[in-house]
Amino acid sequence: MNLDNLEIFDFPTDNPAELQSLFAEHGWGDGLPMIAPTPERVQKMLALSDGEDPDEIIATLPPRSGLATRRIIAINAVMAGCAPSQLPVLVTAIRALNAPEINLRGVNATTHSVAPLLIIHGNIIKEAGYNSGLGSFGPGNRANATTGRALRLILLHVAGATPGTGDASTQGSPAKYAYCVAENLDDSPWGGYASSEGVHDESAITIHCGEGPHNVHDMESSDPAKILDKVASAMCSWGQNNAPISQGEYFVALCPEHASVCASHGWTRNDVSSYLFNKATVNVGDAREAFELRAWAPWQHSLKDSDRISMTEKPENIKVFVTGGPGKHSSVIPSWGMTKSVTVPVMP
Amino acid sequence: MKIYSPTGNIGEPQKSLASPASVLNGKAIGILDNTKPNANILLQRLALRLHERTGVNIGITETKNAALAAPDQVLGRLTKEVQIALTGSAD
Repeated sequence: MNLDNLEIFDFPTDNPAELQSLFAEHGWGDGLPMIAPTPERVQKMLALSDGEDPDEIIATLPPRSGLATRRIIAINAVMAGCAPSQLPVLVTAIRALNAPEINLRGVNATTHSVAPLLIIHGNIIKEAGYNSGLGSFGPGNRANATTGRALRLILLHVAGATPGTGDASTQGSPAKYAYCVAENLDDSPWGGYASSEGVHDESAITIHCGEGPHNVHDMESSDPAKILDKVASAMCSWGQNNAPISQGEYFVALCPEHASVCASHGWTRNDVSSYLFNKATVNVGDAREAFELRAWAPWQHSLKDSDRISMTEKPENIKVFVTGGPGKHSSVIPSWGMTKSVTVPVMP
Repeated sequence: MKIYSPTGNIGEPQKSLASPASVLNGKAIGILDNTKPNANILLQRLALRLHERTGVNIGITETKNAALAAPDQVLGRLTKEVQIALTGSAD
């Protein structure tokens, strides 16, 4: 299907500062300066996708029902400052956002602060220059920053997730500017996260729609239980959507040193999830007191007030991956709730 | 300087609202409670007021998750039972 009938504007200037004003007049952008998406620049962005139809519809993005083709994705990638080597990641991410379990309409429209977190796995990390080490959530790396930013620009421009009309987020979030991180496979004692989800391709991505990272600090423990008890405590705050929505997932981004402590005691990735499932619990009566409206699994409603209930309904909902560099800070990324993560191979 | 618009095309036409019913008397009104806090109270009282003022009959109440589209079965029951539905309450 050929859709190369995209609107082209003839702006009366190529002055970068004046262009920013013209972008703003059209309602484009995230508030930061952008690069003008000239046809020449867009063609260069598409150059590595040679052989792929630039006007194939990759996804239809709600709430605007905007059609995301490779060309439209490339246009926004240019504006965000991406390099062409990042385009396959971005195309894959947009395809993944279209998965029904993501529930993108809800993610974009809710009053919650949710943003899609894009996690990069495998060879593409080094090929496209993503940072999986020190400061992996940013700032300071072009690939992480601009891929995350381009994804947000596509949500703004194509999906129509504009604050006020397509995005009702009460406070917004810094994660809505750019939210992209790479997995530190070199320092992961458990191999790659994507493989643990059954995706064994050389490169893959995961999308998890959640909050910004909640820090977990443990400088002193050589016992996995003591580290993970702190992780569990970060999973148990009443303010998270996970508290009343039992299907919600958690992503636990362990730093290499915390992961190493767990692995050195023989704990697997699944052991970490199982431990956290058993420790990240609250009193059922307190949960009922805190939330009149609870999206619990049917069996959970039968629990007594004196029972304990996990913050998520099964251990498989606790997803563990390794990212970051030296130091002893990990993070917990709670879910928006009514969404499920997706892990898929990178495809141009 | 020629530049592309970053918004692209729209895949399906925007949905438009149904025309409002000119007469409510004799019709049935249903409630699709999206389970936001107090939505049930707001919608039921609104239905009651409409009944008192216009004679409209109050029909079934269905519920849905606020973050998800209403299931087809729910929409099917409403379509079958009522001509008008009250729905929607934000945070």
